[in-house]
Amino acid sequence: MAQGVIKKEDLYRLLSTAAGKKKVYAPIDGVGGIEFAEIHEQKEITLDYSNSKLSPKSIFFPQREVLCTFADDALEEVQTPKEALIVFGIRPCDALSLTYLDKVFSDSAGRFKDPYYLKRRENAVIISLACKEPRATCFCTSVGGSPSGKEGADILVYELADKLLFESCSDRGQDFMKTASVLFKQAEEDHKTAAKEQAEKAKDGMPVLNLNGLKERVDKVFEDPLWDEITRNCLGCGACTYLCPTCHCFDITDEENRKGEGYRIRTWDSCQYPLFTLHASGHNPRVNKKQRMRQRIMHKYSYTVDNYGDIFCVGCGRCILYCPVNLDIRDMLNTLNKL
Amino acid sequence: MENPYIPYPVSIDAITIENDAKDLKTFKLTFDREEDLKAFTYMPGQFAEMSVFGKGESPFGIASSPTEEGYLLFTVKRTGTVTKELHNSEPGRKIGVRGPLGNTFPWDRMVGKNIVIVSGGFAFTTLRSAITYMLCKEQRSKFGSITTVYGARDPGELMYKDILKSWEANTNIDLTLTVDRAPDNGWHGRVGLVPNVLKEVNPSSENSIALVCGPPIMIRFTIPVLLELGFNKDDIIISLENRMKCGIGKCGRCNVGSKYVCIDGPVFTYAELEHLPAEY
Ligand SMILES: Cc1cc2nc3c(=O)[nH]c(=O)nc-3n(C[C@H](O)[C@H](O)[C@H](O)COP(=O)(O)OP(=O)(O)OC[C@H]3O[C@@H](n4cnc5c(N)ncnc54)[C@H](O)[C@@H]3O)c2cc1C
Ligand code: SF4
Ligand code: SF4
Ligand code: FES
Repeated sequence: MAQGVIKKEDLYRLLSTAAGKKKVYAPIDGVGGIEFAEIHEQKEITLDYSNSKLSPKSIFFPQREVLCTFADDALEEVQTPKEALIVFGIRPCDALSLTYLDKVFSDSAGRFKDPYYLKRRENAVIISLACKEPRATCFCTSVGGSPSGKEGADILVYELADKLLFESCSDRGQDFMKTASVLFKQAEEDHKTAAKEQAEKAKDGMPVLNLNGLKERVDKVFEDPLWDEITRNCLGCGACTYLCPTCHCFDITDEENRKGEGYRIRTWDSCQYPLFTLHASGHNPRVNKKQRMRQRIMHKYSYTVDNYGDIFCVGCGRCILYCPVNLDIRDMLNTLNKL
Repeated sequence: MENPYIPYPVSIDAITIENDAKDLKTFKLTFDREEDLKAFTYMPGQFAEMSVFGKGESPFGIASSPTEEGYLLFTVKRTGTVTKELHNSEPGRKIGVRGPLGNTFPWDRMVGKNIVIVSGGFAFTTLRSAITYMLCKEQRSKFGSITTVYGARDPGELMYKDILKSWEANTNIDLTLTVDRAPDNGWHGRVGLVPNVLKEVNPSSENSIALVCGPPIMIRFTIPVLLELGFNKDDIIISLENRMKCGIGKCGRCNVGSKYVCIDGPVFTYAELEHLPAEY
């Protein structure tokens, strides 16, 4: 493990030095809130945030992506993305979520690999930023994460008073730090102690959700009428699924202009919409919002456990913060687990 | 890296209208590149995505059998964007095929067994493939009796009329055709819903496996009949048709519980489905 300290104001210098030809992404204070964007100077970066509004999944799995193009009836492949990225400032929950998306898009059986997503991931360095003050809606520690979790990160950074403490957690992270080694000062004992204390404090302050036995529980109560009750207020807007860092559902459609040139594109889709599962015959296996919300919860807390061995929720709290009717997934889980 | 989203270029070689309503057409496709034909190795039960560039892609069961070499057959019902565009196409048009996708009927387990085939409507496609496969010279001796019940709303809606005629005359297969409504004249098959006719045909469950393809409602009423006939839950094989897009287990829409119909299916045993939510 490599460790090193820089002054906050030297962050861009460090990132750009180590980046070489790579693009640098970092959190900026955007129009609609905190977002990840390609940056070119220090003053664009903000460190004053608990998390971004949209999850950083869009860097690797964009909301709209061209899969191939065609002119008349002939198809042309597009180059799979070649650009290499450095992404700074991803929170540990979102870094963990990338490891889940990796499982979906790489497919452990190795039959179908998604070249668009995987190419971007292959070439990326993830530098995540440990949380000092989790939000009231955060619950990462209840779903296997931590405010200073390392999974999915190549480097974990602690924000100290006017400094940043870098700690590599993968070979790629170590290489990155080596490339820019001249810019790092040695990490002193008090830096490490401060980081450790901060991590403990963040963790201890987090409310704990008791999800023991939840999978077995939800598997058993699939038909319970309680599902109607807990999903009654849902508008079916799908905001929760678009914001969720682990949701990966998409649609594939063709777009064409008058000259007969076109694109096959994939766009984010959501299990909260009736058309998502509508058969051509008019039959629909999930006709109402109870069934669709049940699908969202079962998918995250049961099906992915069967298929990938993981709960596909990292406790980022976005779905709680931004739901227009304040539907709280923690309440739903609690209610179900008490059934 | 191979890209699983990119279809093979194929050409429409011939188009056959299958029913009186003219909303079912069979498309015979040939590969534009020899190597793609070789790469596309499949077994009955699998499906593929057919694409019309600019309109989109949709999944269809493969209706041809691997023993029919050099081409693929798909029978398509006209419903929405892609299927309408296919129906409006002429032979010669270039389209795309992505596949083969999904699992196959359980061929290893079917060897040495009597095969009972139950189907309604246009879901008969992959069963055309299965029957054609079993009836070919090299394969026929591997299976016991082949009993088939196939139904449609009325006689004009039965597909593959020429082949059905040849199967009726073929002693290697016992074919029962049925229609929901009694037509005015000339109908020599049965009248009645598939599950009821299956009961009348009364195939033995002894050393038998049943393949069931049809609309969800037909499947629902056929299963109790097969159980009553003594079929094991493991020996009732059902093919599902949930809405799909990617066909490769990533886009998330085709699941039944933790199973994805596109990669874990479309072929399931009733024993498997019984433990899954009825979301199909
Ligand atoms: C494994 C599998 C095998 C299959 N095998 C066959 C087969 O062998 N033969 C066959 O014919 N079919 C088969 N199907 C079904 C076939 O995939 C569908 O009929 C096909 O996808 C329809 O595509 P489309 O683009 O024409 O229809 P779409 O345009 O997708 O429309 C489908 C239906 O939904 C309706 N619809 C679309 N958009 C909307 C909207 N915005 N609001 C309301 N309604 C809407 C349309 O009116 C139409 O009725 C199979 C499906 C699966 C999963
Ligand atoms: S954001 Fe809220 S209202 Fe919208 S689909 Fe999700 S739970 Fe329902
Ligand atoms: S379900 Fe909600 S809390 Fe869990 S990862 Fe998704 S958005 Fe975050
Ligand atoms: S069709 Fe995309 S997951 Fe099955």
